[in-house]
Amino acid sequence: MADSLSPECTPLKKEYDSCFNAWFEGYLEPAVSISQLPAQQQRQTREEYSRKKAEEFQRKCGKLWEAYRGCVQKALKGKGLDKMLEQSREENAFNSMPPVIQDKAK
Amino acid sequence: MKFYSHSFHYDDPWSIVTLAYFLRYPNPYATHIISCDVISRELKPSGSLLTTRLILKKGQLPRWAPKGIISRAESWVIEESEVDPLGKTVRCTTKNLEFTKVMKVEESVFFQKTTEGKTQQTTEARILSGLGWGLTKRIETHGLNRFKAHVQRSREGVSLILSLLRERGLQPMTLNAPSTTLSMLENTTARHENTPRKQNGPWTRLKSWFYPSSSRDD
Repeated sequence: MADSLSPECTPLKKEYDSCFNAWFEGYLEPAVSISQLPAQQQRQTREEYSRKKAEEFQRKCGKLWEAYRGCVQKALKGKGLDKMLEQSREENAFNSMPPVIQDKAK
Repeated sequence: MKFYSHSFHYDDPWSIVTLAYFLRYPNPYATHIISCDVISRELKPSGSLLTTRLILKKGQLPRWAPKGIISRAESWVIEESEVDPLGKTVRCTTKNLEFTKVMKVEESVFFQKTTEGKTQQTTEARILSGLGWGLTKRIETHGLNRFKAHVQRSREGVSLILSLLRERGLQPMTLNAPSTTLSMLENTTARHENTPRKQNGPWTRLKSWFYPSSSRDD
């Protein structure tokens, strides 16, 4: 796993990454399939899946995420990178290049 | 502006390719990655995962680049992704945050499950220079060539992670076991230490990448 932008956050990042990766692997393989379901049921299934997975993440990795995020946010401010990110978001809102790839599945 | 588009298949299923893609740093084909941080992550009600990562990359300037246009050879890149495990798609956009006047590179990668259960990757890039001074075209062409090389390296990096995941898949494992993905990868690697391998073979090199502390001389 790659290092954090701030050396003091790297141990927190590695702990978080390990936890996230284990969660993510399960998240990528839902037991349910929505392709055959009518639209209304698809939405319902998606919402249930989202709730279930969010709850699982919170339970397993919530604390690690908060610790790592707190560290990175502080480091971003300390290096002035928060301003660069904000500027990029503003520019994006006004002159972003439109997406070319169309999602054929949707 | 230069536009580039490229599409190919991985033989592995979507979930494995997606996992490999998210685990791709570090790998021996991505030595230019200095740091990578998740700065925001949320699960949408639709079940999609939105992630923003801030990445610091080492850059190389062409020899003919005018001195002083870029003060240092590192640059911040932002990566925004959306993973939809129910629709089996991933969309990931990466762009540079600095020196955008000299050259702006925006990469979009799209992964989709194919009907045969394989995975199709489509990569698109737009390269734009606003520098002027008669250098615009030259910079854009340079950027495009570098991007093409990057696509190849990136693919090799993901393939390498895929082969690690496949090796791990041969071992019995349960998803809910307390061990994490990477420690499971480590188990796989440990198993390989018992197998005679050529020194400096791909496994040895890869191992030293993933577990620099575990490389032993015995």
